[in-house]
Amino acid sequence: MGFTNNTHMSQYIPPTAMHYVTGTWTDAAGAVTDTICKHKAAAAQTAVVNVPIVLPSNSVAQMGAYLETIEFDYELLLAAATSVTAVLNKVTRGADGAVAVVSVPAITQDLAAAVAAATENQHKLTVTLTTPEWIDNDVYFLLEMSLVCGGTVTVDVLGAVANFTLRV
Amino acid sequence: MIHDTALSQYIPPTLFHRVTGTWTWTAGQVADTIAAHVAAADQTCTVNIPICIPSNSVANQGAYLTSVEIDYEILTADCDAFSAVFNKVTRGADTAVAVVAAQTFTYDAGHDTAAERLDVDQHKMTLTLSTPVWVDNDVYFLIELTIDQALTTVVELLGAVANYTLRM
Repeated sequence: MGFTNNTHMSQYIPPTAMHYVTGTWTDAAGAVTDTICKHKAAAAQTAVVNVPIVLPSNSVAQMGAYLETIEFDYELLLAAATSVTAVLNKVTRGADGAVAVVSVPAITQDLAAAVAAATENQHKLTVTLTTPEWIDNDVYFLLEMSLVCGGTVTVDVLGAVANFTLRV
Repeated sequence: MIHDTALSQYIPPTLFHRVTGTWTWTAGQVADTIAAHVAAADQTCTVNIPICIPSNSVANQGAYLTSVEIDYEILTADCDAFSAVFNKVTRGADTAVAVVAAQTFTYDAGHDTAAERLDVDQHKMTLTLSTPVWVDNDVYFLIELTIDQALTTVVELLGAVANYTLRM
């Protein structure tokens, strides 16, 4: 059998796959006709969106997916937010009877949390792992986005894209 | 290099994006299946199916999307209309909006008239792109279903399957 190592793979993650806590979130049409989003109604609160990074993994070291960056597409409407901050959580699943363990790999986000990421606008925020990781079969990643909103701003989450190398 | 022309990806109803109507997760008509169920009402619902397949930043690599099959059931009474649009969404850069382009496609022979798509029955409707597409990393696809229910029509969406070639 052959062996392949493709360094340019990506995976779209729709807003319907994400996990929303705090706020009133609904399926809605996007600001651009025929797009979709998860829409947060205006309210002064901090909403947390977790993006599950749905990629293949592998039980053999340095095989499967090598996660490098994640892009998060969203819109802030009617007003700027206070901040939009990304944290990448690495969840190591527990054995039966044991809890999962969470660690926080170092990342950078290209848009400053309380500045460029928070303006009233369309946004494509890129998170880059300082040290990319091969995803073990007992591990998954959650991109946790904290959106600190004032009373006027509404949020539309359009989706995300994970960029990775696939070696199989 | 891998070049497999027979790959498919199941897309569960839990990833579908539903606007208008009272939607619930229910058991399907066949025991131990699942469905997104919309209650009877004289209304027009819009459902978008996100096509969650790999993409690639290199031309002619990654996934070559050819067709999408949608499994659904119409119960109690015919719909007034049931149609699909195959949308390609090109993501915007930061501060830019996305751009949507409807793709040319054909329905399968069992669904290429309006009457065939809307009747009370179990349906497996196939949409075939007239020109299949290599999926770029800045692009994703949405199948937009417009479901015009009669007063007593119930619809259950069981899932979808995207068919593609994978080259990497």
